[in-house]
Amino acid sequence: MQHPYQCIAAIESTAQGQASSHLLAACGHRLVLVDVNDSKIITEWFSAISTTNTAEAPENDDGERPKKKQKTVPPVKPANIIKLTVSPDQAHAVAVTDDKYVRVFTIGNGKLEEISQRCMPKRPCAVQVLPDNATIICGDKFGDVYSLPLLPTASEDVPMVADTALESATLEADEPAFKPSATNLTVHTKRNRKALEAQMQQKAFSAKKEPLKFDHKLLLGHVSMLTGVAYASRNVDGRDRGYIITADRDEHIRISRGPPQSHVIEGYCLGHKEFVSKLCLIPGTDLSVSGGGENELYVWDWPAFTLKRKIHLTDEVVNTGESNAEASRQADDGTMSQADSSKKDVAVSGMWIVPCPAAHGGTETALVVAIERLPMLLAIPVNQLGLPRGQDVNITTIDLGHAPLDLACIGDSVVVSLDAREEGQSRFQAIKLQEVQEQGMIGNVRDGEMEKRLACLNSYPTADASLDGKTLDDLLYNVGNLRKRRGWGDSAKEGDDGPDGDAGVDDVAED
Amino acid sequence: MAGPAKKRQKREDNRQEGQMPQKKFYRQRAHANPFSDHDLTYPSCPAAMDWSQHFPAFTVAKAVSSTDALDNDHEHENIQQISQQVAVADIGCGFGGLLFALAPKMPKTLILGLEIRTSVTEFVQEKAKALRNQNGDSGLYQNVSCIRANTMKFLPNFFTKGQLEKIFLCFPDPHFKARKHKARIVSTTLASEYAYVMKPGGNVYTITDVEDLHLWMAEHFEAHPSFERVSDEELERDECVQTMRTETEEGKKVERNNGTKYVVVFRRLEDPPWP
Ligand SMILES: C[S@@+](CC[C@H](N)C(=O)[O-])C[C@H]1O[C@@H](n2cnc3c(N)ncnc32)[C@H](O)[C@@H]1O
Repeated sequence: MQHPYQCIAAIESTAQGQASSHLLAACGHRLVLVDVNDSKIITEWFSAISTTNTAEAPENDDGERPKKKQKTVPPVKPANIIKLTVSPDQAHAVAVTDDKYVRVFTIGNGKLEEISQRCMPKRPCAVQVLPDNATIICGDKFGDVYSLPLLPTASEDVPMVADTALESATLEADEPAFKPSATNLTVHTKRNRKALEAQMQQKAFSAKKEPLKFDHKLLLGHVSMLTGVAYASRNVDGRDRGYIITADRDEHIRISRGPPQSHVIEGYCLGHKEFVSKLCLIPGTDLSVSGGGENELYVWDWPAFTLKRKIHLTDEVVNTGESNAEASRQADDGTMSQADSSKKDVAVSGMWIVPCPAAHGGTETALVVAIERLPMLLAIPVNQLGLPRGQDVNITTIDLGHAPLDLACIGDSVVVSLDAREEGQSRFQAIKLQEVQEQGMIGNVRDGEMEKRLACLNSYPTADASLDGKTLDDLLYNVGNLRKRRGWGDSAKEGDDGPDGDAGVDDVAED
Repeated sequence: MAGPAKKRQKREDNRQEGQMPQKKFYRQRAHANPFSDHDLTYPSCPAAMDWSQHFPAFTVAKAVSSTDALDNDHEHENIQQISQQVAVADIGCGFGGLLFALAPKMPKTLILGLEIRTSVTEFVQEKAKALRNQNGDSGLYQNVSCIRANTMKFLPNFFTKGQLEKIFLCFPDPHFKARKHKARIVSTTLASEYAYVMKPGGNVYTITDVEDLHLWMAEHFEAHPSFERVSDEELERDECVQTMRTETEEGKKVERNNGTKYVVVFRRLEDPPWP
């Protein structure tokens, strides 16, 4: 089995008047930089096996530690790269590894060099470098969005004098040495008394979290897992206004002001019936598109917080995809995958804006959508997104043979990394899109030239005897897991939030 | 498993619709985990909420056009409208002592309790019905109701920007342990959500007998640029503060135990101009 590339990012710069294109590709714990013009790998980087115990402690969905202490120490593995992004000026790359580290690389002079690594309190789910090329915003599994300087400041633990960030560098430092939080006088209910007793007994109470030792600010937070964080700016009355748009597992899309006023929530784009997993801003317009656990995309006028329309991912599209997916899975390993049970459950796993020149030669773009595990992309010309409700939007299916994992644009070429696991299968496909005469139809051709240039990535040896399908699935496919298991609620259990002293005691009122 | 079913049965045996409910049939474990999914029902957006179910006396003849900007789907055109919006929210209202004390004091204002525990919510709903029945002549208590909600996640599903004039956070669960602080109903990030649903000039009222939690709430609202602390003199002139001290279930228990009650109130400020 070979390891697919789970994240890719293009770097296109014109340093010293010379145009150059690079592709950064993450393959498990490896990060590879390819010079696209020379068609060769110029640097490799590996995440080291974490020596510290910073590997994500198993946390269940509720944000609590598991009920029973897990004694089994997970086998030490190098951390996988789970997010990859490039600064707008193309000078830095930021990678998130699944040991919760945000790692910054310089990519100048065709070299890839790790210059900092910062461990976040929770696993980051989304990262972006702001247009100032100096700030990283990073949303996490527990719903918080932090900003970090791209380049850590010289003296690491200067306490920040925050502007109006909600909390500054002293995050979590506000937990004083142990002192019971209440006295017997203030504790009046049986429940509170129990909680206090439990607290007193807890000798290891001081096992508190380390405050973050680097400059950071808490900008905003949801009480839900964040699935998308995007920075947007708009010109209003001649001035640029910055916004942070955040999406969560509880169907919300929130629009906050950008720093330094990120504590102000301007509004919400509400209407999703299932989790939101991807957000895509349409450049040059006030439109954004969101997708998640439904077979519809939502098109928003986000500054007005209103839904423009929905785009139905027709059953036809989705079903075709499913049968293809099954066919390819069967072809791959001869067995049916476990995804069969969730047949109708669409999970949007990617959305990108890509070049799609119009037939008459204009520079148009298309929205390209990936649905988790389906071996295809769906493409919609961006100029169709604003069509009024009731008017059908043309969706073109681009068959890939394998499920797409990530996408990057190099010039007009759309490079797609694929879940191609069998030794020798091509882990990349490059295509070019073009809008055809017929309104809204998109044609595509393979870009053999680009595929040749990326051949070095395909032959890059990543065979790993210990690699198994389950491990790969866990790394590559986690959007579907965001779905809530509805109807499992059991009111008898609602009070139960764990074995701790302050839960599970009946509310014995004394009146 | 037999527990809740049996309880529900007993409840039904013991009273008829519209009769005063008895608390003992509605007890429920004290804590619900605010991070878990539960089996909550909530509107996808405020326009999708049918408030007429909760405030039938305020229902208006349908004449609302579907151009409501917040009606994102045009799916909610058939929802019964009411003549005014909820203006006061009691978050984590428990058995509703405060709600039923406030309702007759401000009969023209819609007051809503939000509670995460199912049976406790049902109790408050039943009690509201019973009180409406008993006060048919005066029309009192038509303005109070309760919904089951996890307010830490879903406040913006129920309320629009700037809708609420008052929010009460009375005797919130203390979550003593540091590891559980994230479960507290007050944090700086949640304060942004409270600010969002509040009208500038409106107040957030907090009360607790746990000093540690009191300091926590004061500190977190104070650190938030959308709020300013209301002076002690002003508190003493505010009738709501007195009601909150004496009419909440928890307030009464603390009274009996001669405990201390810590009150802090914060005013929602106008948003600053864009930089
Ligand atoms: C200690 S009781 C106080 C009840 C009442 N406010 C009083 O003063 O008597 C706290 C209440 O908050 C409720 N609660 C806790 N977290 C909540 C949440 N996220 N959303 C709604 N209610 C919540 C609990 O179920 C409980 O009934």
